[in-house]
Amino acid sequence: MADFLRLLQNENMKIYRRVGTWVMYAFIIGIPLVMSLAIISVTPEDPPSNWLFMFIASNILASLIAIFTVVKAADAVAGEFSQGTIKLLLIRPWRRSSILLSKFLAMLLFGLALTAAAFTVTLVVGTAFFGYTASPEDMFSEMGRKNPWGYMLLWYLYQFISAVAVASFAFMMSAAFRSGGLTIGLSIFILLAGGLITNLLSLLDKPIVKYTLFPHLQLTSYLDGGPGPLPQYPMTLGFSLAVLGVHFAVFVAVAWLAFGRRDVA
Amino acid sequence: MTQSPVVRLQDVTKKIGGRTIIDRISLEVYPGEVFGFLGPNGSGKTTTIRMMVGLMSITSGDILIGGHSIRKEFPQAIRQVGAIVENPELYRYLTGYQNLVHFARMAPGISRSRIDEVVRLVGMESRIHDKVKRYSLGMRQRLGVAQAVLHRPRLLVLDEPTNGLDPAGIRELRDYLRKLAREEGTAVFVSSHLLSEMELMCDRVAILQKGRVVDIRAVRRDSESSEAAPDDVWFDVERPEEALRVLDGLGKGRIEDGRLAVTADRKTVAEINRKLVEAGFSVYGIRVKTKTLEDQFLEVTRGESVG
Repeated sequence: MADFLRLLQNENMKIYRRVGTWVMYAFIIGIPLVMSLAIISVTPEDPPSNWLFMFIASNILASLIAIFTVVKAADAVAGEFSQGTIKLLLIRPWRRSSILLSKFLAMLLFGLALTAAAFTVTLVVGTAFFGYTASPEDMFSEMGRKNPWGYMLLWYLYQFISAVAVASFAFMMSAAFRSGGLTIGLSIFILLAGGLITNLLSLLDKPIVKYTLFPHLQLTSYLDGGPGPLPQYPMTLGFSLAVLGVHFAVFVAVAWLAFGRRDVA
Repeated sequence: MTQSPVVRLQDVTKKIGGRTIIDRISLEVYPGEVFGFLGPNGSGKTTTIRMMVGLMSITSGDILIGGHSIRKEFPQAIRQVGAIVENPELYRYLTGYQNLVHFARMAPGISRSRIDEVVRLVGMESRIHDKVKRYSLGMRQRLGVAQAVLHRPRLLVLDEPTNGLDPAGIRELRDYLRKLAREEGTAVFVSSHLLSEMELMCDRVAILQKGRVVDIRAVRRDSESSEAAPDDVWFDVERPEEALRVLDGLGKGRIEDGRLAVTADRKTVAEINRKLVEAGFSVYGIRVKTKTLEDQFLEVTRGESVG
């Protein structure tokens, strides 16, 4: 176990010793700062509550977090192949499945750290610029007005789960195709076009759309007791999590199968 | 060679898409031996090495390292191996030291002092904390050797290790590998298409051609050549046909490329010389025709391009 932690330590080193990683953090910290300065200069007399600010800033950051996590997931395996380091990595006394697991966990930890950073920065920056309110009247959601802490924590949890689902897809592609460009391209396509594809599928008027991945990436639509991402097919949070879980299991299984056996040329 | 081999290839075959890339290769490498794997480009050297270190699956046959099968007991087998496969590709955005720490973490029981020791061994003290992307190819090659020997492997596998090294670097590497074999009993398996290099470095070489081992032979060192062993010798003499008659079959005299050639030990060479001089021939030169590994190699592979 202690030995496996050393693999994880290696993967973390390879993430955090890269300049790109810190550029990502700079975005997470910089965007809320720039946003609050912009809001103050535009509407100095009618500022939002710190919670409304946090909600708006977090919506922007959530897409970035998903993209950044996808980039790291895509790089996890494909990067070792493109650099050629995979040959030195795999000739160690470890099963390929353990090495892949360390990469997968490092990718999850990276997404979790970005999410925690975004939560903290938006909360702290919002409070610093707009003061702290215990019950914000300007929130769009009822739960958000009554219990902003609970609302934002749940909101972040749902966004993190969606990000993990897409990142797992990117991880699978990375392990299967060993090409970072293709992986990043397809995964970001899913992220951006997911809503559009959901709309197209719902035009078909077939309940099969309930079982596709795309709608369930919008878990936050269940907050405030909503009917979920597809109003014409009311679903429950449990159902969405189950669909995500099945997709996740398939992605992980394919990643492990693809990485475990094939020749490294 | 009464010891058991460090690595044993048994009828190793690799087929890709119905094409046989490696055809029933069998060989053994013993402790303390530098073993050369020689063949033209595309003959299957790298494929064989990839199978030895578990990067490629083996279609049939097996490879045992310290008695453990690389296919069935991968961790136990690979634990005893250090390797560079093709170019020493390391993490370019990490320093040399961070690269070594990375690989040290993946093997049991490598202390910081062992890392420092290996850094000194490959002579990289002054540059080890620079990022790898600022290294020359020669320095990357040294770092590659460092990561391969960190865990004191019983088998060291190096694929074209002299690529990109200057003559001094090649000499240094050669001395280091021979020392490693002699003092630590490491079995060193080196692939190359550079014949002269292998001749200086190796104790034995296997010659690979189109996925088959066509020959395995010991490399004879100059210091080992005995006085009694007959050599092929050329006599530079006028009118060689007439001179041949004077020899009267001594030393299997014959004409090669218009020159008088014999196969004889030192004593006989002197006797032939005396006979020729006594018969009135002027002998302008006597030259031992040493057979280089290159000659042998070309002989075996019938002059196919060596790349």
